[in-house]
Amino acid sequence: MLRLENVSKSFGKAGVFDACLRLEPGEIVAVLGASGSGKTTLLNLVAGLLTPDAGRIFLGPDDVTQQPPEKRGLAYVFQDHALWPHLSALDHLLLVMKNPHRAHALELLSRVGLAGLDTRKPHQLSGGQKQRVALARALAARPRLLLLDEPYSALDPVLREELRLEVASLLRAEGVSALHVTHDPDEALAVADRVAVMEAGRIVQLDTPTRVYAQPQTLSAARAFGRLNLLPVQVQDGLVHLNGQTWPVEGLQNGAGLLAFRYEDLQPGPQGLPAKVLAVYGGRGERLCRVDLGAGEAVVKLHAEPGEQVWLTPLGRLRVFEVPG
Amino acid sequence: MNPHRSLGAFWLLLSLGAALPLLVLAWRGLGDVAILPKVLDLAGVSLLLALAGSLLCLAVGGGLAWLAFRARLHPGWDALLLPAYLVPPFVGALGFLYALQLVGLQPYGVGGILLAWTAHYAPIAYLLLRPALESKLAPLLIASEVHGVTGWRRVRALLPPLFPALVAAFGALYLTLLGNFGVPAVLGLPAQVYTLPTLAYARLFSPASPDPLGEAAAIGLLLGLLAVPALLLSSQPSGEPSPRPLRPRLVWAARIGFALFALAAVAFPLVGLMRRALFNTFTGAFQPAFATALELPLVRQGLTNSVLQALLATGMLLLLGLLMAPQPAALRRLRQVLDLHYLLPGTLLALGLILLLAPTPLYATPWILLLAYLLNFAALMLRAMEAGLEAGIERLVEVGRLFGLRRRQAWWKIGFPLMRPYLAAGVFLVLPLCLAELTLSAMLYAPGSETLGVAVLSALNGGLFREAAAIGLMLMALSLLLLWVPRRGVV
Repeated sequence: MLRLENVSKSFGKAGVFDACLRLEPGEIVAVLGASGSGKTTLLNLVAGLLTPDAGRIFLGPDDVTQQPPEKRGLAYVFQDHALWPHLSALDHLLLVMKNPHRAHALELLSRVGLAGLDTRKPHQLSGGQKQRVALARALAARPRLLLLDEPYSALDPVLREELRLEVASLLRAEGVSALHVTHDPDEALAVADRVAVMEAGRIVQLDTPTRVYAQPQTLSAARAFGRLNLLPVQVQDGLVHLNGQTWPVEGLQNGAGLLAFRYEDLQPGPQGLPAKVLAVYGGRGERLCRVDLGAGEAVVKLHAEPGEQVWLTPLGRLRVFEVPG
Repeated sequence: MNPHRSLGAFWLLLSLGAALPLLVLAWRGLGDVAILPKVLDLAGVSLLLALAGSLLCLAVGGGLAWLAFRARLHPGWDALLLPAYLVPPFVGALGFLYALQLVGLQPYGVGGILLAWTAHYAPIAYLLLRPALESKLAPLLIASEVHGVTGWRRVRALLPPLFPALVAAFGALYLTLLGNFGVPAVLGLPAQVYTLPTLAYARLFSPASPDPLGEAAAIGLLLGLLAVPALLLSSQPSGEPSPRPLRPRLVWAARIGFALFALAAVAFPLVGLMRRALFNTFTGAFQPAFATALELPLVRQGLTNSVLQALLATGMLLLLGLLMAPQPAALRRLRQVLDLHYLLPGTLLALGLILLLAPTPLYATPWILLLAYLLNFAALMLRAMEAGLEAGIERLVEVGRLFGLRRRQAWWKIGFPLMRPYLAAGVFLVLPLCLAELTLSAMLYAPGSETLGVAVLSALNGGLFREAAAIGLMLMALSLLLLWVPRRGVV
């Protein structure tokens, strides 16, 4: 559906560099990364709002690299909705439909939960309703590819969660391919078939959300999903020695590195690393403890009380990353 | 040819074309620099008057802005300040002339000019400084109060951040006052107090001068030299208001300050105009002079010409705005080029056009005045368009194109409907300014193409004070219509 071949666009040191990406029909790919990592630039390149300095962009069989936005057959859902203030919800849909059909537009509005609100103008709608109009407009255009740029970041947490699940299932039902930019790892996990992690303008990992979460290939890919502990360690022949314990690790064979593990990667076990519980947090339906591991502090998912002594063992092989220069 | 290069050449040629009247003026003025030593003392008067006037406006307008800011006065109170600014300066001067005479004071000369300027232009200082106070000073003031920074230390903490806004406001005021023609024409000329614009006017129409145009051009050159440095200072400060209430107990002081300003700057001259226009000067009987004024051939001619010129100029500028809106980058470029004629004194444009077009059939026709209006007010109309584009319309049109709309369709369905309020703001800004224009028309009119402003000036010079007052009142009423126009960040 979408193919990026070594696409680059530079704004000095910022931009997108040598991006390669392939989106299958009906697939939703989330682009995840910190602010300034090049996510929105990538989206704007695909949309045709920017022209790449190098590389090619294909939509289906067509090379659209030099095509203007209106020729690409895309739709875009913006963070700030970008609705037309003088048009009603229904008129938004009718304006972008190739063959304007009132009944179909009304049905689409009803499917995104806006039944009866078709005559309302943007200023008469709530934030969530505006985003639903933006989504209905995007679907009404029958796009070859839907682009979403942090579409829920302006919404409150409850609405955000509700809308992102609804939208993902709607897109899947319609079979629409989508490139979804977000900096929210939960959103990427919830909506995407695959996740592209961006760092400093480059796609550093492209894989399923669970694999990127469990087996990040770079430190920034690991950081992109949060819930991460980093301990400075010395690795010798693929082994890390921590407070009398020796753990095999992957990623780095020898030298100074950062041992990376998620909150749930360590579990209580009788032969484990001794740790003292310093504080307890009530997370989202889970109990998290800040513990002193001797070699540093970490947050782990654990049922324990402050002051308690516990022993922790890794669930699998932990990963060590090089210390960033 | 490289398209970038040809585009660059196009803009260079256009800029040169737009600047041509000023270049011709400079060239001709340089040929008559011998006159300059004789008028240097007058240039000094002009300079000092503009500087003193700017400081007065800054003090009054800045003081009111400070009061309003500290009292968190509702923006609705601005309606008390704006009328003074919306009334044409020469009409305000006329009002002060009659009002001060009513209380037995002689308003002619430096004092009267400064008074009329302060009344008219202090609201500009207010409009320029209040957003700067709200955006820059509100958080700093709260921080100062919370941390107990008082007295001189507070001034040291607050003044430097405000300095750029003060300098910019001063630059804008200085430019405006230096080029103002109407007030010194009404309150200065009869007392033989000249500023450079009125001196250029007087020399241009002087039967005793061997080379009136050359002398006027030399004076124009001097005026330009005094104005140009201020162009660098005149960028408009802006900012978002702070939502924090600061000093509510000053509310009444601020309200009284606003009301006093409105009384002094609007009501007082209005009373002067009404007294003259509505009551017989000798008998004191109620005898409105409107009918007599409208019977004067010059006034009828002026009214017809002004209305036609204003409609034509506004219509053409509206068309220009509509044509340029879909090319925002070109619109911005063109506005920057034409800003020169909007910001620099109108006297320079008028003299430049006379020099440039004197050998052509355009000279001494209404068309030269129309051209002058177009050049002078185009920047204002384009600024209105630009305000709309910058308010997000340009992006919303791009969104339409992203959804597959063709360029023309996107502008027709999205861009132009959203631009409507900005177009209206542009029209209602330019139309009354053209109707009540004086600086350009006083220098460019020819027999048969007089404007309403010229008619007032002629009536005044011919001793028809009541008729001048009647026309002044009509112009005042017309200008106040501007109060109902959404300003949309244009002025």
